Amino acid sequence: MAGEPETTRANDPEHPTQGARGMVRFLGLVVLGALIGGLAALSAVGFVSAVLWLNDVLLISPRGRMMFAHPEALAIATVLVPTLGGLVVGQLHRAIRERRPHTPADVIAAVQTRRGRLPARAGVLSALSGLVSLGAGASVGQYGPLVHLGASLGSIGAKLLRLGRSDDNVAIACGVAAAIATAFHAPLAGIVFAHEVVLRHYALRAFAPVAAAAIVGHVIATNVLSSGTLFHVTDTAVPRPWEFAAFIVIGGLGALVAGAYMHAILAVGRWAGRLPVVPSLRPALAGAALGLVALWVPDILGMGQETLRFATIEGAFGGLELIIVMVLKLAATALCIGMGFGGGVFSPALVIGTLFGALCGTLIGDAGLAGDTFVFYAVCGMVAVTAPVIGAPLTSLLIVFELTGSYVLTTAALASVTLASPIAAQLFGRSLFDIQLARRGLDLSAGRGRALLQNARLKHLLSQDCVTLNPHDSVDDAVTALGNGGHGEAYLVDDKGRYRSSVTLADLEVMRGRNQGQRQVRDCPRTPRPVLGPEASVWDAMHQLQDVTGEAIAVVDDKAGDAFLGVVYEASIARAYLQYSEELRREEHGTG
Amino acid sequence: MARVDHIMRRACAGALLGLTIMLAPSTHGDEATAEPLTVLSWGGAYERAQQRALFDPFTEATGIPVEVQQYDGGIVELRQAVAEGDVTWDLIDMTRSQAKAACAENLLEPLSPELLAPAPDGTPAARDFVDGALNRCSITHSVFATVVAYRRDAFPGRRPTEIADLFDQERFPGPRALQRTPAVNLEWALLSYGVPREEIYRLLSTRRGLSLAFKRIDSLENLHWWEAGDAPVRLLAEGEVVMASGYNGRFFDAMINRDLPIEILWDGQVQEHETWALPRGAAHPDAAREFIRFATSSERQAALARLIPYGPSRRSATLQVTTHPDSGVDMRLHIPTHPLNAERAITKDDDWYARSHTRINDYFRDALLDERENSDSP
Repeated sequence: MAGEPETTRANDPEHPTQGARGMVRFLGLVVLGALIGGLAALSAVGFVSAVLWLNDVLLISPRGRMMFAHPEALAIATVLVPTLGGLVVGQLHRAIRERRPHTPADVIAAVQTRRGRLPARAGVLSALSGLVSLGAGASVGQYGPLVHLGASLGSIGAKLLRLGRSDDNVAIACGVAAAIATAFHAPLAGIVFAHEVVLRHYALRAFAPVAAAAIVGHVIATNVLSSGTLFHVTDTAVPRPWEFAAFIVIGGLGALVAGAYMHAILAVGRWAGRLPVVPSLRPALAGAALGLVALWVPDILGMGQETLRFATIEGAFGGLELIIVMVLKLAATALCIGMGFGGGVFSPALVIGTLFGALCGTLIGDAGLAGDTFVFYAVCGMVAVTAPVIGAPLTSLLIVFELTGSYVLTTAALASVTLASPIAAQLFGRSLFDIQLARRGLDLSAGRGRALLQNARLKHLLSQDCVTLNPHDSVDDAVTALGNGGHGEAYLVDDKGRYRSSVTLADLEVMRGRNQGQRQVRDCPRTPRPVLGPEASVWDAMHQLQDVTGEAIAVVDDKAGDAFLGVVYEASIARAYLQYSEELRREEHGTG
Repeated sequence: MARVDHIMRRACAGALLGLTIMLAPSTHGDEATAEPLTVLSWGGAYERAQQRALFDPFTEATGIPVEVQQYDGGIVELRQAVAEGDVTWDLIDMTRSQAKAACAENLLEPLSPELLAPAPDGTPAARDFVDGALNRCSITHSVFATVVAYRRDAFPGRRPTEIADLFDQERFPGPRALQRTPAVNLEWALLSYGVPREEIYRLLSTRRGLSLAFKRIDSLENLHWWEAGDAPVRLLAEGEVVMASGYNGRFFDAMINRDLPIEILWDGQVQEHETWALPRGAAHPDAAREFIRFATSSERQAALARLIPYGPSRRSATLQVTTHPDSGVDMRLHIPTHPLNAERAITKDDDWYARSHTRINDYFRDALLDERENSDSP
C-alpha cells in the first residue's frame, strides 16, 4: 500500500528549502549515500566471496570439481548438493511473509509507489536464500540478490535516520548502485541502473548521492576483489560496415530469446503452483532435476561464468553444442527460479545471450563471411538478451563499455540493443520485473504517476462527517437533518448498518413541495450513484469522479454485507491527487 | 593451543639466540665450537650464488658454519628420514608446491612470519613479501619462472611479443620445444585464446578448457618434448628449434655467460616460488630459524638476485637489485619479478596442481603424447 501523502509544511524535511540550509541537507544526503554505498559494497564483496567459497567446497565450481579425486562421489554430490540446497532454501522461504524470496521487482515496487521501507527480515532472509541457492549450484544469478541486499541496507539506513520517503527512495537507489558498481566493477553502470531501473527518473537530488555510493563501491571493489571481472576483450578487430546490420538483426532475434526466457520462468512458476508438492519442497525437486542433467552437461550448474567465457572464444563450442547448452541453460534457469530457488535472472541471461550471440557468430563464420569479429557477435547476443530482461538498455551498454573499455564493441552492442529493447517491450513488457509486478497487480506501464495513485489507498481520506438517514425516516426529518448538518446529500443506512442509497437535498425538497413530507425517505427517487470499496485507490476515485456530480462518494464494504464505512469528499480526492503529483514532481525534478 | 605455545617458545628462543649473537660478535672466533647448520639445496650455479650471498655472510655474522648437501627436489627422502627419525638436514630449499605437500604430511615444522625481519624502511614483513610467500611451513625466498626463449636470428624483421606467438607458426615459423608436462603448456595454450590470466585455472578445470588447450598445443608442427632442464638451451644453441620453453635462470646463463643469440619472451611467464622449510626433528631448529631471518632480509635477497636472476620475494629487495658484481650486467632486466617482466605473469597454482595432477597428466598423455612418442627430443 502506498503511504499517505505527507502534509506540507514550510520547513518540511521532505521538501528542503533553497539556499545554505538546503545545501547542507543535500550534502548530508550525499554523505549518507557514500556510507550506504560502502556498506552495500562490503556486503556485496562478502556475498560474492562466500558464493565462490561455497562453490569450491560443495564441488560446484569446475575448479573444485577438478581438484576432487573421486568421480563417483563427485557424481553423487552433483545431484545431492543442489537438492539439499533446495531443501534449505524452501525452509528459509517459509519464514518470509510472502513465502518467496524478495527480488529487485520488490525494490522497484517500493520505490515506484513511494512506499519505501523495505522490510529488514525479508531482506536478510532473501539474501541468505540467494547465497544458499548460488552456493549449491542452482542456475540463478547473483546480481538480483546483491541489488536487493543493497537496496534493503539503504532503506534500513533511511529508516534508522527517520528520513522521509523521498530520501528513503534515494537511499535504496544508493544501495543498488553500489551493489552493481562493486559486483561488475562498473560504477557508471551502477549509477545508470539505479536511475533507469529502480528510480526511473534522473533528478539531480538523487543523482549525487547515488554517484557517491557507486564510487565508494567501485573503490572498495578494486581494492578488495582482485579478480572477478566479467570479460576482458583484447581484440582490436573492427567489424566491417555490413556487420552492423547483422548486429541489429541479432538484436531483434535476441529480443525473442529474451521473451522465451522470461515466459519460461513465468510458465514454470504457474505450473509449479499446480504441482501436488508442498511449496517448500519444490526447490529441492528442481535441484534434483538440475543435478541429474548436470551430470551430462555440467555447464548449466551455477552462474556459469566459465561457460560465459568459453562462449566468447571462437571454436570452444560447436554449433549444435551451442544450441544444446543454450536451451538447457534456459530450461534450467526457468526451472530453478520458477520452482522457487532464490536468485537473480541477470547472470543466466548473460550466459544464454552470449551463447546465442556465439551461435550467430558461428553461423556467420561458417558461411565464410566474418573475420576476427567473433567476440562482437557474442557480446551483441549478450546485450540483446539481457537488456530486455532487466529493462535496462543503457545499463547493459555501460556494462559492456566499462568491462571491455572497447568503444567499438560498445557501438556494436548499441546496434544490437536498438532493436532488441523496443521489440521486447512491445511484445512482452518493459522487463521481467515489470511483468511480474503487473501480475501482482502493479501496472508500471503507464508510468510512475499512475502506479502511485493506483497504489494509494483511500482509507485516510475517509470521512465520517456526513448525514446518514434511516430509510424509514420521514422526508421532513431528513430535510431538517441535512439543514442542520449543512450538507446537500445524505446516505441511507439501514438498521443493520448496510448502505442502501443516497439522496440529495434537492430531491427531498421536491418531495416536500409536493406535500409528501410525511413519506419515508426510501420512497425518494434516487439518482444511481457509484460507491467505492474500502480498498479502492485514489486512481479509482479519480475515475469515478468523472461520472459523479455531488459532494462525496460513499465508501461501502461489499465483502461485509454492504457495510457503510463513510464518505470521501470530492475535494479531498482532488487534494490528494494534487499532493501526490506535487511530491512526485519535487522528487523527480528537485535539485536538492 | 599446544602448538601455539610451542611456536612461541621456539620464537622466543630464536629471538634470544639472535640477541646473544648481536651482543656478542666475538663468537666469530669460536667457529670451531659452533655446530654446523646443514642445508639441503639444488647444487650448481644456484648453490654457488647462495654460498656467496647467504652462507658465507651468515657464518661471518654468527660464527655458525654452513654445510651444504645437494638434491634434485622431491619429498621422498624427507618422508623416509622423518619416519626413521634420522633427519640430517636443518633446512631445505624446496619449491612451494613440494613444501605444501610435505607440510600436509606433517614432515615440516611450522614457521611463523614473526621470525622475519622487517624491510629497511620498517614495513612489516607480512606486507613486504609478495602474495602467497608466507605459508604455514615454508617461506618463499625467491621466485623463478618458466619462460619462452627464442633465437634472435630466426625471425628477421620481427620478434615475438606475446605468448600467443609461441603457437603462431605462420608469423614465426620453425620448430618448437616444450617441456613434457602439462604444467605451463596448458596455461600458455589458453592464454593464446585471449583468456585473462585470472581465469586460466578455472577454465582449465573444465573438459572444454582442457580440450581447447590440447587443440592449441596439438596444432604445433615439429614439436620437441624436452625433459632435462638443460635441453632447451642445447636445442636452441644447436638450432634444432627456434623457440623453447625453459627456466629463466638457464636462459640467462646461456645469454650472458655463453653469449648465445637468444632472447627471453617474458609475456605469460609462469612463476613458481622457492622456499625455505624446516624438516621435522631437525637438530638445530633455532639456528635454522636464525638463518631464515638472515637469508630473507632485504639486503641478502638483493645480494642473491645480483648473482642469479631469481626474483626476491620481498618488494623492498626487488627495488634494491642492481648489477652483477662481476660482469656488471643489469640484473633488474633479468629477474622475473621486475615490473617490466611481470606485467602478464602467471603464478603457478600449486594447490590446483597438487590435487589434480594425476588426472591432468592422464588427459595430457592421452591427448598429446601417445601419437608423438617418436618425436621426442633426441
